Amino acid sequence: MSMFLEAIDIRKSFGTEKVLHNMNLRLAEHEMLSILGRSGSGKTTLLKILAGLELPDGGRVLLEGKDMGRVPPNRRDMVYLYQEPLLFPHLNVFENVAFGLRLRRVPEQDIRKRVQEMLDNLELPEQSRKMPQQLSGGQRQRVAFGRALIINPKVLLLDEPFGALDAETRASMQQLLKRIAEDFSITALFVTHALKEALLMGDRIGLMQEGKLKVYDNKKAFIDDADTGVQAELAFWRGIG
Amino acid sequence: MNVKKFGNKLASLGIILAVLFPFGFLLMLSMGRRWVFPSLLPEVWTPDNWLAIWGMQSGLGASLALSLALSLGIASMATAGSFWVSKQVAYHRHRRRWLAMAYLPYVFAPVILAACLQYFFIRTGLSGKFWGVAIAQLFITFPYGLIFFTSFWTERMLSMEHLIATLGGNTWQAYARVLLPVARGALLTCFFQLFLISWFEYGLTTLIGVGKVQTLTLKVFQYINEANIFFAALASCLLALPPVVLLWLNKRYVFSIGFSGPSRSGKSGSKDQEILK
Repeated sequence: MSMFLEAIDIRKSFGTEKVLHNMNLRLAEHEMLSILGRSGSGKTTLLKILAGLELPDGGRVLLEGKDMGRVPPNRRDMVYLYQEPLLFPHLNVFENVAFGLRLRRVPEQDIRKRVQEMLDNLELPEQSRKMPQQLSGGQRQRVAFGRALIINPKVLLLDEPFGALDAETRASMQQLLKRIAEDFSITALFVTHALKEALLMGDRIGLMQEGKLKVYDNKKAFIDDADTGVQAELAFWRGIG
Repeated sequence: MNVKKFGNKLASLGIILAVLFPFGFLLMLSMGRRWVFPSLLPEVWTPDNWLAIWGMQSGLGASLALSLALSLGIASMATAGSFWVSKQVAYHRHRRRWLAMAYLPYVFAPVILAACLQYFFIRTGLSGKFWGVAIAQLFITFPYGLIFFTSFWTERMLSMEHLIATLGGNTWQAYARVLLPVARGALLTCFFQLFLISWFEYGLTTLIGVGKVQTLTLKVFQYINEANIFFAALASCLLALPPVVLLWLNKRYVFSIGFSGPSRSGKSGSKDQEILK
């Protein structure tokens, strides 16, 4: 039986450097898979290939069983979110969130209603007329989520979205994302290099190492595997205690 | 205290007068006739010189129209073209090589560049023609625009474009809704600078135009050579007018833009904590 999103035998090299080696991935609908990996392990390349922003050297990407090989990024219905919120600097919060709806020529009345609902959901109802440079880092990231979620994408590709936030804001944003992932039944890939974040965010967890992805059946299997670094982390904290 | 204030005001007035004097002097000369030593001012004051702009005899009106058409056309074409081409160069793997080539026209003076190219313009029948001068001016304005815009196309802009694509936008929508509005200030500044380069261009226009393409800048030098100071002053006034208008437009529309380009989000600080409480 085919999964909601599948990547089959994906290969990618940049020059002589092999970034992804026959990488496979299966993601069910409404599931959030977090992928842990160090810098340069190929996480971003994988997300970009899934979004259609990079072409793989080989392999296939299937969404709902349909081959995405020749489908351009703007027709894949997969939104790629960067570490930086990348809000459009000439548009206010309302227009940033409404951006995808305006591209789809949604009627003005619907836009107003849906954007207001989204801003309420993201706890930003008072900020709608503010410009991006008037917002804090956490608020910007919320607007970026709102801009992506309002078009109901089939898959959300999150590339270390909280990497630029301080520890406290990061923790709050993780909780917010967990809540909206449930409310909106999101299907998502969440890429991070932070062990705790990977454990917290994913329904399942994968480990990316040297261009290969290993997805664990459950969190216990992930914790028990010495390669993930969880055991080393636990030993460190026990040592301090 | 009062003496200091008075001194400051006097200094300000002096600076303003020093800046405005050449323009005032040119304006005065443009309306004068018969200025013979030892008279302090021209003996006859008349608007006839200005009225001659509309007459066929002086050719000033035609030169003004030609210069405006040439400079506005060059500035528009070079700005639009270099904006698009600079993007291809900025994201090309041989970016440095292409940029180095863009600097080549500036290794020589424009007049030397014109001397090098003149043979080809003669062979193609473009020498002495409006289109010949236009193409020759593009040789110096287009690379300028290319160099100007290359710094606009950063990794951040590329990421923004990718984001627009995954949000469902096509290339046209990306340009119309984000890239062009974000680049508005840069586009206007580049247009203004390219207009000025073309407007005041002399050496290259003289060589390729072989005196047949009479731009206003050439007209000024022609009147100076003829020792016709009144018409030279009039042509200079006309020469100064469009840049002044553009300067005013630039001040009003470029510097009044309410944002300073894409902002970089850093680590959030106390503002976040306040909001999260």
